[in-house]
Amino acid sequence: MSNLLELSDVSKQYGQNTIALSNINFSVKEGEFISVIGPSGAGKSTLLRCINRMIDATSGEIVFDGVDALELKKRDLRRLRTKIGMIFQHYNLVERLSVIENVLHGRLGYKSTLAGALGLYTQKEKEQAIHLLNMLGLEDQIFKRSDQLSGGQKQRVGIARALVQDPKMLLCDEPIASLDPNASKVIMDYLQNISRSMGITVLVNLHQVDVALKYSDRIIGVSQGEIVYDGSPAQMTQEQIHHIYGSEAGELIMDTEEEKNHAG
Amino acid sequence: MRMEDTNKSTVLTQSKPIKVKPLNKTAIVIRSTLFCLIALTILGFWTYDYKEVGLVEGILSTIANFTVMFTEPHFSHFTFTEGLYQVLITIGLALLTTLIGAVISLFLGLFASENLSSRKVSNGIKTIVAFIRAVPTVLWVLIFAVAAGLGSVAAVIGMTFHTVGYLIKAYSESFEELDEGVIEVLKASGANWWQIIWQAVLPSSITYLISWTFLRFEINFAVAVAMGAAAGAGGIGYDLFMASSFYLDLRELGTITVYILIFAILLEVVAIRVKRHLKTA
Repeated sequence: MSNLLELSDVSKQYGQNTIALSNINFSVKEGEFISVIGPSGAGKSTLLRCINRMIDATSGEIVFDGVDALELKKRDLRRLRTKIGMIFQHYNLVERLSVIENVLHGRLGYKSTLAGALGLYTQKEKEQAIHLLNMLGLEDQIFKRSDQLSGGQKQRVGIARALVQDPKMLLCDEPIASLDPNASKVIMDYLQNISRSMGITVLVNLHQVDVALKYSDRIIGVSQGEIVYDGSPAQMTQEQIHHIYGSEAGELIMDTEEEKNHAG
Repeated sequence: MRMEDTNKSTVLTQSKPIKVKPLNKTAIVIRSTLFCLIALTILGFWTYDYKEVGLVEGILSTIANFTVMFTEPHFSHFTFTEGLYQVLITIGLALLTTLIGAVISLFLGLFASENLSSRKVSNGIKTIVAFIRAVPTVLWVLIFAVAAGLGSVAAVIGMTFHTVGYLIKAYSESFEELDEGVIEVLKASGANWWQIIWQAVLPSSITYLISWTFLRFEINFAVAVAMGAAAGAGGIGYDLFMASSFYLDLRELGTITVYILIFAILLEVVAIRVKRHLKTA
């Protein structure tokens, strides 16, 4: 399979001294499910946002689907963003609007300013939105106001909103950080399913190492703005995890859990 | 762990009372300001020139005036329907100025909020608006009266002017309260500025916008009454002016006050209804 995304020597610097990312190099194949792990403040979110240029990288080259993203001007940038869906920790729904209205927001990038501003969507777009909501098990919630949903349901609306864009890639910024274990599993299962059945590339920021190990085809470990691990979950050792988090053996929560498992 | 334990024990074994509010610079400034204000108030009452009016006597005759106003209201210089018509003119003045002001403020408010526009533009608008608000409405009406002449035209322009100053501040602060993430998500999906405004910003802040607008409408109703008296803008305010300083008719003053009171309460009820409807719908 060909490379959908290629980052070469991408750096991001805030002000004079703060380096958020330095010389990031990696490429993503079509349909891959990649987890990005690392401690808070390591630059995971910045990395994700550099790809769809919500944050502008200071230097380097980002090629998405054969287009150099850093060179794009306004209109072409909008077109690029329509091809990349994004999912957030806090769902970021417009709470006062209905579920389907929120999902249809994913189509705005394709519409003229006037049609988008007035919310005039085509029948086909609406059908697609309803189809996606059915797929995500939200058929009873379609016309509910978004603030009446649970966290897990809101995140599924977020996924539907990203999918209605017909994206080639999904960027997920800690999608399960605010959810309970049950809802987290549902969301991760949906993301894996989407990646496998629809062939959409998924790049997801995670805090839970065990989740990353379980779901990903590949794991990228980020520490202090640099990639310190890039490989399959199977090859990942305890030492490497500790290297990513800069911790000593026995200091992470998952270590103590493992000790318990060994003991029991 | 051990370090924390020893720290905790030293705090607990201290015999001194533990202060929840430490006496820092802010606390000293606030307390001394309050003390000065209290001292000035007492001094003020102490040094009043009461002339020959006794406090008790003054209060009693005011009560007597109020009793006459509200227990014996009558119509002498206008009929019931004429009075109603005059109140409607005042309402019209308030409605017109609020409406024009709200439309202008909505657009300028978007540019005045920092998260939707640039810092430069936002600060520029906010500075101008702060200046407009610093000058009282009556003064703006009188300023515009130089060009337009005393009357309803000057009143409309002046009141709109001050309304715009007030609402831009209120609206832009409502927009700035908005969750940054909602804007981010639409931007990330390729939506442009106007689409984000209409699809996310306005739906999220509509309740705030409505309640600020209603609040301003109530203020404008009160100002419109005053403008009828002070700037010859017509309406019930002009009748109020005539009854109080030309005919010296306390009873008719009472009638007018009742008119204004009823309409003010009506406005309040409508405002509450609309807000409740918006919150649940």
